[in-house]
Amino acid sequence: MQILRKSNWEGFEKTRKMKRIEIINVVKKSGLKGRSGSNFFTGLKWELMGKGTRYLICNADESEPGTFKDKFIMENNPSLLIEGIAIASYAMDIHSAIIYLRGEYFHLKPKLEKLIKQSEKHLKKIKLKIKIVLGAGSYLCGEETAILESIEGNRPLVRKKPPYPSQSGLYGKPTCINNVETLANIPLIILGNWDNNLQLFSLSGDLNEPGIYEIELGMPLKHIVSLGKPKNEPKAVYFGGSGGCIPYQKFKNLRVDNELISEKGGFLGARGLIIVGENRDIVDISRTLSEFFVHESCGYCTPCREGNFRVVELLEKIENNKAKKDDVKLLEQLAYHISDTSYCALGVASTTHLKCALKYFKKEFKV
Amino acid sequence: MKIKLNGKWVLAEEGETILKVAERNKIHIPTLCYHPDLKPQGRCRVCLVEVHGKLVTSCDTKIKDKMEIITNTKRVADARKLNIELLCSNYSGEKELEFSVVAKELGIKKSIFEKTIKEIKSPMEKDNMKCLLCGRCVQVCGVVQKINNIEFAGRGVSSRITIPYDLSVKDTPCTFCGQCALYCPSNAIREKAYNKKAVKTMMEEMDKLINKKKFVIAQTAPAVRASLGEMFGMKPGTLVTGKMVTALRKIGFDKVFDTDFGADLTIMEEASEFIERMKSKKNLPLITSCCPAWIKFAEQTYPFLLKNISSCKSPHQMVGAIAKTYYAQKIGVKPEDLMVVSIMPCIAKKFEANRPELKTAGCNDVDVVLTTREIGRMIKTKNINFTKLKDEEFDEPLGISSGGGAIFGVTGGVMEAALRVAYEILTGKILQKLDFIQVRGLEGIKESDVKIGNQTIKVAVVHGLGNIREFIESGRWKNYHFIEMMACPGGCIGGGGQPRPTTNEIRRKRMEAIYRQDKSMELRMSNKNPAVQELYSEFLGKPLGKMSKKLLHTKYKKRKVKFT
Repeated sequence: MQILRKSNWEGFEKTRKMKRIEIINVVKKSGLKGRSGSNFFTGLKWELMGKGTRYLICNADESEPGTFKDKFIMENNPSLLIEGIAIASYAMDIHSAIIYLRGEYFHLKPKLEKLIKQSEKHLKKIKLKIKIVLGAGSYLCGEETAILESIEGNRPLVRKKPPYPSQSGLYGKPTCINNVETLANIPLIILGNWDNNLQLFSLSGDLNEPGIYEIELGMPLKHIVSLGKPKNEPKAVYFGGSGGCIPYQKFKNLRVDNELISEKGGFLGARGLIIVGENRDIVDISRTLSEFFVHESCGYCTPCREGNFRVVELLEKIENNKAKKDDVKLLEQLAYHISDTSYCALGVASTTHLKCALKYFKKEFKV
Repeated sequence: MKIKLNGKWVLAEEGETILKVAERNKIHIPTLCYHPDLKPQGRCRVCLVEVHGKLVTSCDTKIKDKMEIITNTKRVADARKLNIELLCSNYSGEKELEFSVVAKELGIKKSIFEKTIKEIKSPMEKDNMKCLLCGRCVQVCGVVQKINNIEFAGRGVSSRITIPYDLSVKDTPCTFCGQCALYCPSNAIREKAYNKKAVKTMMEEMDKLINKKKFVIAQTAPAVRASLGEMFGMKPGTLVTGKMVTALRKIGFDKVFDTDFGADLTIMEEASEFIERMKSKKNLPLITSCCPAWIKFAEQTYPFLLKNISSCKSPHQMVGAIAKTYYAQKIGVKPEDLMVVSIMPCIAKKFEANRPELKTAGCNDVDVVLTTREIGRMIKTKNINFTKLKDEEFDEPLGISSGGGAIFGVTGGVMEAALRVAYEILTGKILQKLDFIQVRGLEGIKESDVKIGNQTIKVAVVHGLGNIREFIESGRWKNYHFIEMMACPGGCIGGGGQPRPTTNEIRRKRMEAIYRQDKSMELRMSNKNPAVQELYSEFLGKPLGKMSKKLLHTKYKKRKVKFT
């Protein structure tokens, strides 16, 4: 695996001989995009940073259902991440970096802290302090501005953009927020011989060999799924909880990249693929996912808070054969309404799975 | 800056919101969470408009040069309306409110959604002013019943007892067994109506009903007669059946029926159900369903057992259902004009009576449930000299009962009554030795092999939720054919609604009284109860028949709580 290569601070030492703008240009040229699923060009993000005191935040709040690649990196090659943070900080002239670690990953905290301590001789050279802030288990805190509120000690709500964090982020200062996988790739980019298309996929669901696979972007779906050794004939593939689903049989030859998945109504996101076997009930999965969003909704805006609650109610009715004809219509209306009118990206994405299910598996929504 | 508003170019200044510009141009956009003095939030999502094909909130979206904004498409109107629909399901309108004005403007009278607040009406209350922090409730809930739904919070003088995490009752595993109330020395935890004011209001309500010519029926549970006397200083274990009936008549009940009759009826149905399951070998063991706290416990903690639980309603619900159909027809009263008040040793019965599935002829089977304590207080409030009362008899026909019905009040009673009848049905012979001593007593889990004909039936009797939890989680439940479960230690004689104090010693005395009553009765087998026989021949047909299934049986469903 490319991501398991060791750099031993060689990449960092190399950048020490470069100008900041040169580093940013190398990252820009590499074509690296945010690996959290946002797909924003990393080099450009670095370039857009405002003046004055700045912060770097490593988003390690990996909480998308079926996604566990950042955990894999932090468990198996954490020094690459620390080095990536150092290079990014140096390139943007940042002296304070924070790893915002998912609450459920608390077991990684001592290990990372030890590693930071061991790296001190390198970090000293650029006067960088790295701190770990442990999240408290909210899904919403994977969103970059909710992280800011959380670190500041506030109720984690999503900030309205603009202003973007690159201008006004943590404590109102320019802040760069990058994903674990994004930052871990930085030393490798600097060292060269790096392939942007090799990305981590989390495979889970009805598989005999679920786990993390490094796969070239653009491979056919059936190739990716076959790596996980399906237990039975796959019926659908879900892209995390918020990325929707596509039917497997129909699209097994589809090349898996962001644009092609989006064309089919899904969202590849952070490449967490949940393979759903033929014996599964789509309505049951829809309800489970919607219950997740009811639980994780912050309650700020009407459509996400109230709407998803109603979605679960309607799905329960369908499951218990108590639904009326109009109920499926209302369900569909709500699915689009919630994504159309919610305040933040969580609300907007909370019904993608349902829209896809209604598009491809309508027959299962029996009344 | 120039922006296009509903097809017309208008001037605007940088930094202005869409809402501000629209207002200036006399274009009305409905708002709700927005207030001119406060910072816009964009929470309610009512002030939506369409900008380049996307819906955005106008209160907090700033204009950009050459922005094209449309405020009056169908998409906009539908989205605004749906958000109000989502908001107003719990809201009962008061015309002058800001919210009502917006709802009206968008053409909403009543939400298409049902109320979201599906709060369980808790039959209990807690009064921290009266709490002595003695910790009895914490121990009985945690150690005895093993529910762990009461705990201490705060420190020093701020200490108080609370429900964990301050959850709302509907999310907690409280079964309303009421043992906390039974052990409370200062009435800080109690059934809701158990205070002076509530009892007085209740009495006034009763008088009103009687004046309105409602036909009000009382029925009394087997365990009440063995404990009610204690409310008036009588010794534990004194049977006060006759005095209790007299007192209820004095309070003003039109008829006084006996839940023991319903117990006999339950045995007819449940024994038949047991025999049917033994034959088909399906869903064994059969588990009893008389105890509403056990039922709620199973629904939330052990839903995999629901298929094993008898579908029989509990005895007082059966009496209610029969009163509102068979009996109402007989006396020519409409079911809605007939009110059934159950006098129970139990607080969970209050919750049970409100279960939406327990309805007959459009009304609740049982309208009101009063505990032994509450009825005792009512009798005192009426200044009735209870100890001096003469004995009177229950009314017919729902007042006739057998010893089998009577022993429902103690742990092991349902099992014993069922075995008496099952023996006769299965063997066709008359049972000589009626007492099944092995299922009696206060031991937490009692088990026995009962020989009926050439079959050996393995039975278990478990009482106290803590014992039930141990019994189920150890997997022992799988070893039996028939299991009786009661949530309160000792069964109903130790129920949460019984007189205080209740101790194991007092439980034993009440238990002895119940068995004394059984022994003294000529009629000791539920199937020999003439009123029950008449009910089947005139009205119900046969046990588990179509009519019985409709009136006397129910269903259970999984219940979600935050912890179990």
